[in-house]
Amino acid sequence: MNWMIELLACFVATAAFSVLVHQPRNTVLVSALIGTASYGVYLLLNQTTIAYFVASLLIGTCCEICARLMKRTATLFVSVAIIPLVPGVGLYRTMRFITEGNYLQAVTTGSATLLGLCAIALAVTATSMFFRAFKKKEGAC
Amino acid sequence: MEPISVMLDAICLASQIILESGGETYRAEETVERMCRGLHIPNVDVLALPTGLFVTVYLEDGTAHTRLVRVRSRSTNLARMDKCNAVSRQVANGTLSASDALKRLKEIYQPRSEKKWLWILASAVSAGGFAIMLGGDWIDFFVGFFCGALLQIVQFFMAQCKVPSLLSGLVAGAFVALLAQSAMKILPGVHVEPIIAGAIMPLLPGLATTNGIRDTLRGDLVSGGARIVEALLCSIMLGAGIGIALSLWGGLGL
Repeated sequence: MNWMIELLACFVATAAFSVLVHQPRNTVLVSALIGTASYGVYLLLNQTTIAYFVASLLIGTCCEICARLMKRTATLFVSVAIIPLVPGVGLYRTMRFITEGNYLQAVTTGSATLLGLCAIALAVTATSMFFRAFKKKEGAC
Repeated sequence: MEPISVMLDAICLASQIILESGGETYRAEETVERMCRGLHIPNVDVLALPTGLFVTVYLEDGTAHTRLVRVRSRSTNLARMDKCNAVSRQVANGTLSASDALKRLKEIYQPRSEKKWLWILASAVSAGGFAIMLGGDWIDFFVGFFCGALLQIVQFFMAQCKVPSLLSGLVAGAFVALLAQSAMKILPGVHVEPIIAGAIMPLLPGLATTNGIRDTLRGDLVSGGARIVEALLCSIMLGAGIGIALSLWGGLGL
């Protein structure tokens, strides 16, 4: 029951975030759904670094497919859909450990946060490049 | 054929809008090349950076024209990028002339008056929603909602005073952390972690990191490196703000 509320909150929050980056209205629903689904995958995979990677692969693939179907740019979808995955908790915990003088924990959490951010970026980039390589004609994306 | 100055104006403005709206560097470069094809310019060289843009067009009579455009402000504005993309597509298809394109681009480039209350509400809902998503209770939702709204007001204020974006990240981090800590003192049962993490999530550079890594992998080493450094600095500033607030709080012994 708890996870349903979390995913619902994720959907609402992601849709609200789309206002802050001026996302065109008719793409909000799709990217909020993709973002929520990928956060669910991330939770299912126990929130590890590889979970970031797999969830972002899902985002990249779904966004590229939706971009093709709706004839828009994939960036429009991706920039909102990755928001639930962005490691805010990791940054907060790192800073808390530093202020507590617990440097070992801080380094562990900090590098996990950084790795997570890189995993997201790498997965999204990889899917986008993969799709571009198989682009049928010039100017399709 | 239209005068070269009008064509260059349109090309440069389109590219500048994309760079200022948070578009990728390769998108700006491709836009220039695509528009040049549509305008029957035989050869073009373009170098786009996150902070500027160089365009040189070579005409059939052997002359070359160069423009340099400086990009000073960078924010994310997906709608503007989308509209600009549509215009550049039409130019590339040959269905829009350079002067008409310039007119439309100038319209797109005009700053719009945003509905401030909508922004404050959106920031509040997203901060509260993320607080619940990260394992908060209902009371955390309301505190997060409140924090998000105040954070957006502070950001409007800082934007009006033209505070540099990295510095405003520092202030935002410290502000959220202080608010959440005070809420914990006043209201029992409030969790600090989901509130702070939820409120700063929209400020973390997810898109900038993605763009930086993409540029680096494509071989645009200068802009890739610049974007990655910007993203890193942005996260460090946010973290430093939180750290300052937390240690101030600890130092006061509250």
